Amino acid sequence: MAKGKWLLLPLALTLIFAIKPYYGGEINIRLNEPASFNLNTANYSNLIFYSLIYENFFYLKKDGEIFSNVFQEYRYIAASKTLNLILKDNLSFSDGKPLTSKNIQVSLKIFMGLDLFAASKLNKTVKNIRASDNQVGIELLADTPDILSLLTAPELVVLAENEQSFSGLFYPQEWEKNHHLMLKANPFYAGGRSYLDKIRITFAENPLPDIFLSNPNQFKDNFREFDSGIYQNIYLCFLQGDIGQNTKIALFTLLKRFNEATGFKYRELHTLTADEESPVSIRIKTLSPQKTASILKSSDIKLYILASLSNLEKDLTAFLKSSNFKIETLFIDDSQFMAFLNSAAIQYVLIDKIFQKKVPAEEKISRILKESSFNQFNARTLRMLSELDEVKFSNSQELLMEQIARISEAIINDGFIFPLFQKNYSLYISKEWPALEIDYYGRPLLQKTGKNND
Amino acid sequence: MKKVICSLLLLFLYCGNAFGQQSAEALIAESAAFLDEFFKNRFDIRVAVIRFENDSELSDTAMQKIYQMLVSRLENGKNILVSDLLVNFADGRGEFNLSRVDDLHYLLDLKLIQNKSKTGLGLTIFSRLQDKIVAVKYFEEALSKGEMELLNARNFAFSELGFSKLLEFESKKNLMDIQSITGDDGQEQYFFYYPDEIVVYLAREMRLEKSFQIKLEWTRPVYPVLHYEGKLLLLPTGQGLVLTAGNNFSPAAKVMAFHDGQWQEIQKIDFVPCKYLILNQNPYLVGGRYEEGRNYFKDKIYFMPFSDPANRSGIYEKKITPAMALDFSIREGQLQGVHLIDRSYNYHLFTSEFEEKIPSPEKRGASLAALGGEWLAVSDYSRTSDQLFFYDIQNGGQRPVYTGKISGEIQFVSAGVWQKIRGFWTGVWQKRGDPERFVVQFWGKRNG
Repeated sequence: MAKGKWLLLPLALTLIFAIKPYYGGEINIRLNEPASFNLNTANYSNLIFYSLIYENFFYLKKDGEIFSNVFQEYRYIAASKTLNLILKDNLSFSDGKPLTSKNIQVSLKIFMGLDLFAASKLNKTVKNIRASDNQVGIELLADTPDILSLLTAPELVVLAENEQSFSGLFYPQEWEKNHHLMLKANPFYAGGRSYLDKIRITFAENPLPDIFLSNPNQFKDNFREFDSGIYQNIYLCFLQGDIGQNTKIALFTLLKRFNEATGFKYRELHTLTADEESPVSIRIKTLSPQKTASILKSSDIKLYILASLSNLEKDLTAFLKSSNFKIETLFIDDSQFMAFLNSAAIQYVLIDKIFQKKVPAEEKISRILKESSFNQFNARTLRMLSELDEVKFSNSQELLMEQIARISEAIINDGFIFPLFQKNYSLYISKEWPALEIDYYGRPLLQKTGKNND
Repeated sequence: MKKVICSLLLLFLYCGNAFGQQSAEALIAESAAFLDEFFKNRFDIRVAVIRFENDSELSDTAMQKIYQMLVSRLENGKNILVSDLLVNFADGRGEFNLSRVDDLHYLLDLKLIQNKSKTGLGLTIFSRLQDKIVAVKYFEEALSKGEMELLNARNFAFSELGFSKLLEFESKKNLMDIQSITGDDGQEQYFFYYPDEIVVYLAREMRLEKSFQIKLEWTRPVYPVLHYEGKLLLLPTGQGLVLTAGNNFSPAAKVMAFHDGQWQEIQKIDFVPCKYLILNQNPYLVGGRYEEGRNYFKDKIYFMPFSDPANRSGIYEKKITPAMALDFSIREGQLQGVHLIDRSYNYHLFTSEFEEKIPSPEKRGASLAALGGEWLAVSDYSRTSDQLFFYDIQNGGQRPVYTGKISGEIQFVSAGVWQKIRGFWTGVWQKRGDPERFVVQFWGKRNG
């Protein structure tokens, strides 16, 4: 028996690698359900989803190499300060309609209008975009030899005039709301058709799909674990100006204690982004249990929690109940939150933000200012944002770090947002798909993923 | 037109003697010398082995090697015409196609015998004309244990006698096929088919010199691919040389002819021609259709009358299995068999009537080519140590005769000619080096 096993091993090793790859098959991925097929890369789930149906102008490999599936040639001419992009011949969108230089020109202009640092930097660099035949000329205001690196943003994708045309590796075939979405291989994909025929995107927790995100160090037997390159920050926000500092600190202390009581499931967070990349670490001194109790015993707190943190519900509700304080937890859907904000006097809210490690710290700070200051967004916040923008273009890392530190201290000291915890995510990929890898931004690369032939 | 001359560096490869099997070779050499001597004053003697039995410790594989070595030696004799009638070896006996015995002058009966420490080969010569045994001879050699193991091993590479790598050089990547034709001046022209051009080389001794190139313009729909596949076919017709070029990224294959000093597209056909053959005395193009953008053929074979290159009416089709690789063995213009590797990497053989023979249980690497109706080359089902298997298909069977190790992944195999030697071209992708490189090899029999 044992001898038989030894004989089978080399045989199996030779059979695994067929010379010609097999075309066909389907893979299952669990993601959040998208709102539509219109590009929106606000979170990691969307970043993956839209990378499947929209093709990037350029890709950045982990080793720093830049490549494109759409352009056969790209050359920067210093004398004319122009980047020439030459399209590959005979490209088409998923419905067979021609993919032309005009599509590239329009897509680039749409990207430059987005509220992103990479987009605004490009906007300030580009003078003019010309499209002719199979060529696009990007004329720059100043000599910028590294212009190509600005075009590797994951949000810079090839868009069609028609909403039903897609440039990506796959295109949507069937969508059963709240259940699944089926994507089919794009036969005209510029980089060459994928080995897989279909991708099934599921939204439910179970059964376990082939690719999904979860806490690190699980599923070791059947899945390979990758650093997804993303983390989730949890903040406690105080949306009304009349909340006393003691109450804020007491609630903050209570939530820190909750993490302790549940076995430190989250990492402590001492800044707005990540402790590793932040120039400042802000320690908010917690209170003793007695002092916390004395402050909160007479409080009547409604703690709103975004539905994206619904995994906390069971443990947190039980913890608060056992503490005997009058704290009510209300989970609210992310999409309804802004509307609810205007109609109700929300005081306390627990929010989360998912960030990619690779995104620059200044971009994350900017996002927090814009998306998490809520009704406290004012002229001062706007000024901080524009100062950050200015410093970004000064190309001085020192000034940039100073500005990030100043903003972080100001926001936390003002007492409207307290950083609580950080949670890292791993991307799990079933061992049945051995060739699957992920890119610089943590997106699974599915083009050359094939079914195991045996 | 000014010729652009560009030389490709060719590496002529020397294949050393297979060592470790000297005693077996000596046994064969003695037998062959005896037969040479026996037939030396006779001319155009038609001879074949019609029986081969094994009473030794050697395996069927070893018997096959010994048989092949003997036949290869005899093939070198100028006055002997050897017919290779072997169909298969199994259970210590050779299975021979005896339907052609009537054409022969002498029949050979071989027997391997184990005699204590020595291995013997018994040789009996039977004259059909005299209807009697005319010679009996016994040879023996001490075959060491190691040599026996070597003979018993599944390795058919007797380079001096069988197929060996005669040529190797580097090419630009994505080469899909190579075809050649002898020009009016007797010079061989080699057509290298790339996705965007066909480059034509002339052979100058052991070098290829670029003669000209034909740019290929494809039009929508074009299906971008990860792996380029294509077939080129050269057809000398009454109206001059015609070529067809089909692939897996365009649904239409090009038919081009040389007119007014340049190659012009004269029509498009919606399948990929693989071979030219005669059916009911009419010329036909035969081929398949790739799944667009993928690396396999659909489940139909198309036959198109081809008496007039500009006419594409009268196409008919036959259903087969979707195929990773597909080729047709053709003898004297007639279809002999259809060889294919299916999507599960199993080899199938269909007769000219499209009846399937029993599929091989062994998996293969999805590249194959037939050389006339005589030889079939198939790549191996492994990535780490690829190899090429050569089969003798002359008698309608599929008998392995040689293997050749390949460093890299075989991308395509096609039948061809180099320096008057018939054999197989292979395109090999070598990924281990830095940079990766695409290598072209020619495998042929040195003795022709």
